[in-house]
Amino acid sequence: MKKSIIVTLLLAVSICALPFVISPFVLFMLTEVLIMAIFAMSLGLIMGFGGLQSLGHSAFFGIGAYTVAVLSQYVTSIYILLPAAIILSGIFALLTGLIAVRNKGIFFLMITLAITQMLFLFFRQSDLWGGADGLGTSVKPNLGFMELVSPLSLFYFAGAFFILSYFVLRLFVNSPLGKGLKGVMENEGRMIALGYNVKKYQIIAYVFAGGLAGLAGGLYIFKTQFASPELFSVHMATTVLIMVFIGGLGTLFGPVIGAGVFIFLQNYISTMTDRWSLIMGLLFIVIVLYNRGGILQLLQIVGKKLMPSKNLLVDKKGATIIELNESGKAK
Amino acid sequence: MDLFIVNTLSGLTYGMLLFLMASGLSIVFGLMRIINLAHGSFFLFGSYVAYAMISRGMNFWLALLLSTICVTVLALLLEKFLISRFHGNEASQVLLTLGLIFVIGDITLWIWGGDFLSIPVPSILDFSFAISESSFPIYRLFVIAIGIICAVLLWYFETKTKVGMIIRAGVDDMEMVGALGFNIKLIFSAVFLFGAALAAIGGVLSGPILGMYPKMEFEILVNSLVIVLIGGLGSWKGAFIGAILIGIIDSFGKIYLPDVSVLLIFVVMVIVLMFKPTGLFGRVES
Repeated sequence: MKKSIIVTLLLAVSICALPFVISPFVLFMLTEVLIMAIFAMSLGLIMGFGGLQSLGHSAFFGIGAYTVAVLSQYVTSIYILLPAAIILSGIFALLTGLIAVRNKGIFFLMITLAITQMLFLFFRQSDLWGGADGLGTSVKPNLGFMELVSPLSLFYFAGAFFILSYFVLRLFVNSPLGKGLKGVMENEGRMIALGYNVKKYQIIAYVFAGGLAGLAGGLYIFKTQFASPELFSVHMATTVLIMVFIGGLGTLFGPVIGAGVFIFLQNYISTMTDRWSLIMGLLFIVIVLYNRGGILQLLQIVGKKLMPSKNLLVDKKGATIIELNESGKAK
Repeated sequence: MDLFIVNTLSGLTYGMLLFLMASGLSIVFGLMRIINLAHGSFFLFGSYVAYAMISRGMNFWLALLLSTICVTVLALLLEKFLISRFHGNEASQVLLTLGLIFVIGDITLWIWGGDFLSIPVPSILDFSFAISESSFPIYRLFVIAIGIICAVLLWYFETKTKVGMIIRAGVDDMEMVGALGFNIKLIFSAVFLFGAALAAIGGVLSGPILGMYPKMEFEILVNSLVIVLIGGLGSWKGAFIGAILIGIIDSFGKIYLPDVSVLLIFVVMVIVLMFKPTGLFGRVES
């Protein structure tokens, strides 16, 4: 708990300080990074801590985005728009989770994929909300006492939600609920034998992640002002999956790094060539081939090489095996 | 009544194309426990290669054969150099095939561009027959026939031949089959290639009916996944029934309920999975 607060405060300070050292263009891009980081963290929760590999996580992002885009025609207050995005995507997560969580592994992956693709096709075909052309809006975050218009304020707006999401996720992961979830991932049979209702844990995590992805989708509309059926696409779901993989599965902060690296790469490579999709696919294949836990683990290895701690016994991949006390024996 | 017959036949045609795709997907899963998400890309790649050959004046049937071989070779390379490296690690294999969708999809976009393309109907089958007042293209009947022939061949292959016996045993217990002295890796590769070839045939045959366009592979893939989920993984019989069901629902849904036709398929899937999570013919416990 104490550590969570310290880490969160550090993050908050660095986000507050960032605009003073970077250019406006990078700031604009970082706003997107923060929003996508929330999205990636929510997938990271169910994948890295729940073992549920989802190819349909873009469904909740899309629902959140459409909720804000559609409702913003009638109301502007974020106190209605964002909770609506969270609640609607959470409800959808509950409904689909009840079906999907009955299955494991590849079956889960396929069902979530099928559900999302159905939504994608539905939004593209139907005449509601712009159909295939998408739905443009002009909505600014209205805090009630002021309206945020400048890119800088939008950055802080996204940053605030990012920090809040990170903190809540950290609490979730460290709570008995999160520990139980991880237990289910690691040994479901034992958890059942110990009397845990494993499906309940998975569904709670799934709904939580869905709501968070909905929040990210809602924030995304404030930045782009445009909701399109593409938000539901497999392409989107894969994008966020790749972010989680690049950053490092099984950590909270990994997906955040993944989102950052991915968006920067995307922006720079897209200016050079049209073949971003090809490069992204190859990148993804390479990461799967050399799956060593993503960038975060790479950083940890480097960190431990630079500052070797005598009290830790570390294996080749950088994971701590045991802590040693001063005489060199395991604690 | 005419409309009913024509719709049923159209639905069957679409269903048979999906069957060619889904049966490969299902068999590969049954044996290797992986879902080859790039299966739709094989389908699309097959039809693009055939298009390239036919638009340069090649005979349809020769192009069908050559593009099937082409896709099989592609599948062989991918299996040999990528997928087999993760023998026994299903999650990585599935993710690999996911990456392949983007690579293959972008390469086809690069070569053939983003326009809607279609393969002309082979001249020998380019006429229609009349159903009282409506008419129905004979080519579609031909596709239905091919689908049924494939199903019969699969049935014969599975139940009457020795290779089919080994594969059936492999679905139940792969390790035991290996212990009996059969080369598991070879069987895996063969089944994977066979599935890819079926997908390519489906792709070429669909060229004159569905055409080709970018990101089509996702549509085909998802419909096949739904079929496989409804029919039951690892069972081509399930794929056959599921494909006919989805084909007919799609065909009638588009006419009577155009707005929600895509949701209709989904509703059927949910209902089936609620009552039988393994699908209609599935033996694999999920």
